[in-house]
Amino acid sequence: MQGADLTARGYQFGIDIGGTFTDVVCRAPDGSIRLTKVATSRADPSRAVLAALETAGADWGVPAAAIARFAHGTTVATNAVLERKGARIGLIATEGFRDVLEIGRQMRHQMYDLVLRPETPGFLAPGRYRREVRERLDASGQVLVPLEEEEARRAVRELLDQGVQAIAVCLLFSFLNPAHEQRIAEIVAEMSPGLPVSLSSAVDPAFREYERTCATGFDAYVKPLVADYLANLESGLARAGVGATLQVMQSRGGLTAAGVARQRPVRLFLSGPAGGVVGGLAVGLSAGYRDLITVDVGGTSCDIALVSDGRPLIRAEGLIDGFPVRVPMVDVTAIGSGGGSLAWIDAAGTLRVGPDSAGSEPGPACYGRGGTRATVTDASVALGYIDPARFAGGSMRLDPALAEAALRREVAEPLGMDPARAALGIHRVLNAQMAEAIKLVSIGRGIDPRGYALLPLGGAGPLHGCALAEELGISTIIVPPHPGVLAAAGLLGAPVEHEVAGAFPHPCAGLDSALLQPALAALDDRCAALMAEERLPAGTDVQVGHSADLCYIGQSYWLEVPLDFSAADPVGAAYQAFLAAHDRVYGHAPPLPAKFVNLRTVHRAGGGSAAGGATRAGAAPPPTTRPIRVRQHPDPVPAAIWQRAAIGPQHRIPGPAIIEQVDTTTLVEPGWTASLAPDGAALLLRRDAA
Amino acid sequence: MTTEFTTADLDPVTVEVMRHRLEGIANEMQATLLRSSFSPIVKEGLDASAGLFTADGQTLAQSCSIPIHLATLIPAVGRILRDFPPATMQPDDTYLLNDPYCGGTHLPDIAIVQPVFAGGRIIAFSAAMTHHQDMGGLSAGSVPTNATEIFQEGLRLPPLKFRDRGVVNATLEAIIRQNVRIPDTVMGDIHAQVSACSIGARRLAELAEKQGGNALTALFAELLDRSERMTRLALAGIPDGTWRAVDWLDNDGVELDKPIRIEVAVTIKGDAIHIDFTGTSPQVRGPLNCVPSGSLAAACFAVRALTDPRIPTNGGCFRPISLHLPEGTLVNPRAPAPVNARTSTIKRITGTILAAMAEVLPDRVPAPSAGQMVIVAFGGKRADGTPFVTGDLIAGGSGAARGADGVDVIETDATNCMNLPAEAAEMETPIRLNRVALRPGSGGDGEYRGGLGTIREYEALVDEVSFTHRSERHFSAAGGLFGGAPGAMARSVIHRSDGTQEVIPSKIVTRLQKGDRVVIETAGGGGYGEPGRRAAAAREADARDGKT
Repeated sequence: MQGADLTARGYQFGIDIGGTFTDVVCRAPDGSIRLTKVATSRADPSRAVLAALETAGADWGVPAAAIARFAHGTTVATNAVLERKGARIGLIATEGFRDVLEIGRQMRHQMYDLVLRPETPGFLAPGRYRREVRERLDASGQVLVPLEEEEARRAVRELLDQGVQAIAVCLLFSFLNPAHEQRIAEIVAEMSPGLPVSLSSAVDPAFREYERTCATGFDAYVKPLVADYLANLESGLARAGVGATLQVMQSRGGLTAAGVARQRPVRLFLSGPAGGVVGGLAVGLSAGYRDLITVDVGGTSCDIALVSDGRPLIRAEGLIDGFPVRVPMVDVTAIGSGGGSLAWIDAAGTLRVGPDSAGSEPGPACYGRGGTRATVTDASVALGYIDPARFAGGSMRLDPALAEAALRREVAEPLGMDPARAALGIHRVLNAQMAEAIKLVSIGRGIDPRGYALLPLGGAGPLHGCALAEELGISTIIVPPHPGVLAAAGLLGAPVEHEVAGAFPHPCAGLDSALLQPALAALDDRCAALMAEERLPAGTDVQVGHSADLCYIGQSYWLEVPLDFSAADPVGAAYQAFLAAHDRVYGHAPPLPAKFVNLRTVHRAGGGSAAGGATRAGAAPPPTTRPIRVRQHPDPVPAAIWQRAAIGPQHRIPGPAIIEQVDTTTLVEPGWTASLAPDGAALLLRRDAA
Repeated sequence: MTTEFTTADLDPVTVEVMRHRLEGIANEMQATLLRSSFSPIVKEGLDASAGLFTADGQTLAQSCSIPIHLATLIPAVGRILRDFPPATMQPDDTYLLNDPYCGGTHLPDIAIVQPVFAGGRIIAFSAAMTHHQDMGGLSAGSVPTNATEIFQEGLRLPPLKFRDRGVVNATLEAIIRQNVRIPDTVMGDIHAQVSACSIGARRLAELAEKQGGNALTALFAELLDRSERMTRLALAGIPDGTWRAVDWLDNDGVELDKPIRIEVAVTIKGDAIHIDFTGTSPQVRGPLNCVPSGSLAAACFAVRALTDPRIPTNGGCFRPISLHLPEGTLVNPRAPAPVNARTSTIKRITGTILAAMAEVLPDRVPAPSAGQMVIVAFGGKRADGTPFVTGDLIAGGSGAARGADGVDVIETDATNCMNLPAEAAEMETPIRLNRVALRPGSGGDGEYRGGLGTIREYEALVDEVSFTHRSERHFSAAGGLFGGAPGAMARSVIHRSDGTQEVIPSKIVTRLQKGDRVVIETAGGGGYGEPGRRAAAAREADARDGKT
């Protein structure tokens, strides 16, 4: 879909803040792209953003006033949780239920650990910060016990006296009738005007009180921090003379204005990865592929996501630091394997890789920062894939002697093999782990990976693309023009989007389709109000999509299906769509009675192919040759070494070959051929399939 | 296509790569099983597992979502091999059984086994086990707490051929359909098991085609040997000696005044572990008896938890384990003793084995956990006359360990089940939860405090609700360790709407009328270390957060 260009002519910035680097992508009015990376400033991440602006002004000659769009992916909400640096919050619950947050669902994640750790985010509001109020709704939302307002006031007073910075309210069945929660919000506003309040009926209006309490608690926990951060950034941009609205990426893969983002901060936990998935989607679409598997291989982990028929897979609930967060987000699965994963020999003499990682400090042995253990990156250096002088565009010089020494000492000698074979072994083991994880993610969702194209991302992904594709039976690999900064690039391709859902518990049988319209209209009103705050240019085309969550009666997991009001019987059509989805995901679909659980509306404006576009072609040297090791040959083979910028549409590059660029290195294995797609992506095709 | 290795070339890289492939196949089998099953107990309780076995019946790779399944397929595969000589098997033959006295566990668990052929011979077996929603018998769900013979527990299936070269045995299917309450669901779940086994057999055959069957079977042997070697090395790191422990189950659900003794003597000798159950109660009248595979699962859990968790789990890990299970006792009952409630027994056996090891591994083994999973079931008719059935599974607190308080309300040892949200209960059924709370003061005191139990209050909103309650720890506490105090015992009381109260003696089947309430308090975990050594700040935090 090519949406309306939301911005007037001008420079567009996508800025993604990661743990180590802040990536900046700038698209000029003529469509050309500039990139830079600056070190992330952990104490105040907004400083890196402003530093990037200075770079843009000084090096690229982009005046602040010419910036028409400023889209941002942020880890500020995620880090607040990981580092337990969120606000002190109070939690108000229905009488009898204040401990739900700490009890949770009683399952443990590590089945074989004897010494257990808490599985619930009790840290959000320990017992002393939790209060109960007398009130109760029944399962149809009718009032059983009216709200005792005096008790509510007392609870709020006590929490304020304890110095809470935000209050979360989660009452039973509030997703059917928010009146009691809203009254408590009014009481808080009377007693402490401006204190942030998160209501479960607004944050996550769906049944199951533990999951709803978590989402609401996390929302309140990060709200003050996110608000301060975005305010800092906005005022910094204003001081720098940037007039464009600050936009923030949400976990679902859509942007929103900072003013809206701070109202619903729980929707920012996957801000960064969502940018990567949207960026991958844009690259895939412009190369002509609608079914994609993205594999982002970083230092300590590998993120896997699926795009099906041109849309990222969305999950209704995800995890933050192991705790449930029930808001829609891109369906990204992380496994603990990456370039920094350590190779080791187990007690039976078998080569193992990970899950322990050298991280970024000290990092792989070849970084020369004191790391002595062999990592996947050390193997990549020893195999000749990574040129030590050109790593990360030459910004960091690697020491191949240290890599080889670590491989020899830690792996090769204990196993009685030469270091090159040990290095190949490390790659084979890592690739097997990643391939099995991708199979599980795809097959577990009813998807056969063989029809998909593989998008390897991150600094290390394209080194493993061919091996992964072969294990998965995939014959097409797309390496984006800028895989190392794809999340930032994705920001420029993302739509502005809002989603509002509400409970709608009705059996399909006998449900009058006319009942759907007013319920959806109420959700649309709320969504439109959020859209209005975006202050999009007049006449911007806003697409509205309606969907519903359905499940079989008696089952508690549901599936989202689109609602089609052009159908003669929209309820019947939704039921048929549910059966089809159930068959795809679960392998069968008996014609049993089903029910509606939730209704959902999504309003979307813009979005397109902004991630693409070639960097300005520089004068690139012709290909050279150096020996590399590949798993297909016992001896070193000569490989053509190409600079990415030197590849033109006329070139066909058969493996073995290496393609180098600032943010990644691509290995073209024997049996594969690389070429340039029209939009600048590198296309690798298996020769027997090409 | 070149093969990646030959028999002579089992290098340490190939072994690891192939292990990931085999575990990938087991995971794909499990994903298929969960995905294509019908019943909530599989979809949400994850009470199912799948795996690959060697041609002689050892576990090669298994994907299981709860530890109770760790060893339960081993006797099933072994029994099929004994009753049906492999020489008579054909591709796409499928075998099944559920009888605990012929390789099964309890009647709801049906095992499905299928041979994997390569080059015209059997190189392995794929197998799957699912807890089915119903197997007939006394009560819906086929886990009657008052059964006194296995014949009351449901349909017994000895080892039988379910499919002959892919063709379903229609006679057997008709018999199953006629004997269960929900035939479509049960057959749907059986076919999901068959799909899982077929996927596993197909994937392994593909691998064999690429690698050669001989090379593959050599690799299987190597994988098992490596896990055995590592397990033995880890066991050798534990000092030699014999350690004993005794713990109790409340009663057997039939004879309510008779506690059930579980006694173990765990001997570490060199690189092997032997567990002797001498001293354990004779078999009981009620359904808490547990056939040997249950004790094996408990022992496997303990070995897996006490050795290096990075050791790949397969049959090699189980080779250093030997068990002495005296015949005619709780842990090796004679037919036709009932066995449907054996989950409680396996949980307590696991806890008792670990408790024995606490003395020699004080840093690794926590104080005893509540180790209980209360099962409550409600059934009856809604106000509009439609029938309903619902249930809840409730955990207690975990034991404290050196350096860590126990965790409040958490599943431990052999099981891992979710509780029922109050909103889900009230939306689906006329059962209302009035309270879901931590149980203050229930954690055993100590330098490190035991985890708290929970309090849940249910109210019947209609008359004539049948109510089943099966619990533990009502008459024996989770003990403290190294001076720590025991956790509080469990307690459940029915508050009738007329003001009378009935204390539930751990297990009961009764009726509730509109307005009757049931208050269930689960047990706390044991404390670790002298209470006098508990940090003042920790005590103050507990008091402020309402935990003591």
